[in-house]
Amino acid sequence: MIRFLIPLVAIILFLLEPMFAKFSPIHINESTFYLVPRFLILYLIFISIYYNRKRAVIYGVIFGLLYDVFYIDIIGLYVVLYPLVCFLASWSFRFIHQHLIITIVLAVLLVAVMEFVLYGFFLLIDFTTMSVSAFFYSRLLSTIGANLLFLLMLGWAFKYLINARLLERERSIN
Amino acid sequence: MPHFTNKKLILLLVSVIFLVALISFSLRDRQNATLPEQIIKDTVGFAQGLVAKPTNYITGVFGNIESLLNTYEENQRLKSRLENFAMLQASVHDLEAENARLQELINKKESLRNYEPIHATVIARNPDQWEEKIILNKGEAHGVQRNMAVMTARGLIGKVVLVSKYTSEVELLYTNNANYRVSALVQGEKGDVYGLIEGFDAERGELILKRIDSNKTLKEGEKVVSSGLGGIFPKGLIIGEITEVSTDDHGLTKMAYVKPTADFSLIEEVVVAKRLVTAIDGLDGEGTDEDLTNGSTETEGEEQ
Repeated sequence: MIRFLIPLVAIILFLLEPMFAKFSPIHINESTFYLVPRFLILYLIFISIYYNRKRAVIYGVIFGLLYDVFYIDIIGLYVVLYPLVCFLASWSFRFIHQHLIITIVLAVLLVAVMEFVLYGFFLLIDFTTMSVSAFFYSRLLSTIGANLLFLLMLGWAFKYLINARLLERERSIN
Repeated sequence: MPHFTNKKLILLLVSVIFLVALISFSLRDRQNATLPEQIIKDTVGFAQGLVAKPTNYITGVFGNIESLLNTYEENQRLKSRLENFAMLQASVHDLEAENARLQELINKKESLRNYEPIHATVIARNPDQWEEKIILNKGEAHGVQRNMAVMTARGLIGKVVLVSKYTSEVELLYTNNANYRVSALVQGEKGDVYGLIEGFDAERGELILKRIDSNKTLKEGEKVVSSGLGGIFPKGLIIGEITEVSTDDHGLTKMAYVKPTADFSLIEEVVVAKRLVTAIDGLDGEGTDEDLTNGSTETEGEEQ
């Protein structure tokens, strides 16, 4: 059963992202803050660290393609970034201890790096004229904050789900 | 990092080239989505629509609670406006009747103002908010076409940029896209002044109205509406209010900052305006070089 729960959670997170995006941008004291929900990639990072890197990369390609086609109409952006981030996550965890808090911090950091790469790309193709400092204050910090909050609330649940799946798999092998 | 063999290196190189080709293909100014894209859009759009309904309901409940808290203050404000409103309504009614009578007198049946509303629900907003886009649950099958105007009750919010069978994508006025222009007019005291909404000032959070005749005078607080001269938008959709007037970079024409009346966050229900007078293709510098005159006279003949 849990076997199917893992892709199901990914689908739900994929569909929930635009719902949360509707609340953004928020205006506080004349300044605008963009909150970009990155729930799916955070979940995929967890899968790639605790469960299976190959599986995470495959999910990354599939959902990246859906994201590209449905939301941004530039095919070949997220379809590369999602698997790349999963790959980086599992690679860096060969050197670091697998504690939940460390995973959360690393996942959010990777999302920040991805956000920066995206900013560079959109600046390159003239989709945005935002300056680096404006990007840093009005997008990056608020996005990091929002996604950190999300992971602090649900990170343990992701880990619990993946552990349950690992147990199930062991049992079926025995 | 992993060790690269020759074979792997070639594979990497080929995939990078393929990727760049794919990105540049999708960055072209496309008129239509390809078939696989349309299929993906419709399927994801269907699933998204299922999720959107309950979440819209929940946000609606929160919105109701919030407005309940503001009731007293709002009531006071509205009461003070109500007296003016009755007078305004009487004069609008009077003017409408007179307008209809005069139009009958000169046998004018069509107007750029008339449009057929298509009501749509927002099923998603582009989550990585680099381009300001929303996705609606109505598409080609419901009569939505590319370049149609999209608005909320409070004013114009954007136009349709891509249509699939059952969904359509709207680019909001808040965009840096240089090809995105809306023909607008300012309802000034001494007649209308025409210009183009072109671009958006991110720091001020306001739209920029450019290419205004430098002989005309504009004042702050004057209303900006769509002109209907672009070819597809109906006339008279409210866009915003002028907040500042200045000359543009070359000093040849004037430009003005326009504060939009519509609220761009938490958009849920929108109206797509389908103009009743024949729509002309080729809006906003994307001319298709088709012979439009023949086509339009034919359809006009059919309507009469």
